[in-house]
Amino acid sequence: MSPDAVVIGGGIIGTCCAYYLARSGVKVHLIESGALASGASGACEGNILLWDKQPGIMLDLGKASAALFEETVPHLPFSIEYVKKGSILAIERREDLGAVDRFVRTMQGEGVPCQTLDLSELRQLEPNLAEDLGGGAVFPDDAQVQPMLAVLAFAQAAMDHGAVIQPCTEVKSIVVSNGQVAAVETSAGRIRTHTVVNAAGAWSKMIGQMVGVNVPVVPRQGQIVVTEPVANVVRRKMMEAAYTQTVESDDQSLQIATVVEHTESGNILLGSSRQFVGFDRSVDMDVVRAIVTRAIRFFPCLKGIHAVRTYSGLRPFPPDHVCIIGEAESVKGFFVATGHEGTGIAFGPITGKLIMQMIAGQTPDLPMEKLSPTRFGRPGSPAASGANAR
Amino acid sequence: MADGGTGLLICRCEEVTQEEIEEAIREGARTVNEVKRRTRAGMGLCQGKTCRRLVERMVAEGTGQKLADVQPSTHRPPVRPVELGILATVGED
Repeated sequence: MSPDAVVIGGGIIGTCCAYYLARSGVKVHLIESGALASGASGACEGNILLWDKQPGIMLDLGKASAALFEETVPHLPFSIEYVKKGSILAIERREDLGAVDRFVRTMQGEGVPCQTLDLSELRQLEPNLAEDLGGGAVFPDDAQVQPMLAVLAFAQAAMDHGAVIQPCTEVKSIVVSNGQVAAVETSAGRIRTHTVVNAAGAWSKMIGQMVGVNVPVVPRQGQIVVTEPVANVVRRKMMEAAYTQTVESDDQSLQIATVVEHTESGNILLGSSRQFVGFDRSVDMDVVRAIVTRAIRFFPCLKGIHAVRTYSGLRPFPPDHVCIIGEAESVKGFFVATGHEGTGIAFGPITGKLIMQMIAGQTPDLPMEKLSPTRFGRPGSPAASGANAR
Repeated sequence: MADGGTGLLICRCEEVTQEEIEEAIREGARTVNEVKRRTRAGMGLCQGKTCRRLVERMVAEGTGQKLADVQPSTHRPPVRPVELGILATVGED
């Protein structure tokens, strides 16, 4: 039996697409070259944040997706450790508190609950923060999930709605006939379909190349340090205010933005780096040292806690910092859902829903123009090379 | 613990039982990493040094793969737990 749609990629984006498609009655078949959650989704922090989203389409996506998490989590087949624990933004120097306050007002104006904190208010919320910081802000609605469980839960929920999920299956080629997707050739045989969703994360450029569609994402590595389980060092997610500058930066060199947070299991995650090193997932001890040093600057009590593991993931980085969701211009039925970089978990549900709406011929919940892959042009065109040059 | 199980601990750090690992394999886990993602086996203090071999054998038996063909789990530094205060100064003069 030929499915209505084939989703390529078993991370959060692919499994959310499969879930929303299956739930709306589309016969969907997801293929994944390795195991579910074996890419960026299995090597991240599970952040569902609003504070780091630029007002405009990115914040709109964030708000819509956060609401979808709240709505969906109770219906998933098992717990994904969803906690609306809030974020703390901390700054080192008191002089920067004015800038934080302006930022907080902007976000309040956008309808995001948040509040500026002086140092004593900050330390009241997070007593283990260093005594000589400059203050910060709190965003109480930010949330967290265990990302691997989230992927597995959306996959299971999709299967419960009739989706087929097939790991260990590689895409060999995509057959296009008269400008329309006709089939996907896989290591496990040919699947006839008129619709393909490219949700291959850091590898989605290669899938695009199979049909001549420009998907200019590159892998951007992020490293994380995991500690032994301990009690209550940090109650919320603590982030250094420079985090967005780091994520928004195009700088090719190493960037560190401090993130300190507990998981539900008691381990503390220390993040994170942003570095362009191709598809290399090995951990660099110099980067680890930089992450740990910075984390101790904010939480001196971390010094005596043990690290048990380090890991890295490859985030799909788009040249203009906006994720890519929509149908290709040149190949009918070829949809792209990628380029979420560090916000894939947060944007999973809204991406899945928008893809479902476009495929099912419904009106998408959000304007799609700025997200469309057509903004990059075809490979070799001026628009395409301009995008690649950044 | 699954009903009727022995409660035999395979991963002592994370207290994961034989039944939980068998269930993960029945649900489709084909590698040690996949068992880990589903059950937390190997995510604890010893990072799988105690249970890795057992889990590899259970995966081989449960999926019909040869033991040598079962993909080993990913190893990442540090080899054993290190105080963050020490990690912060590694390589410094």
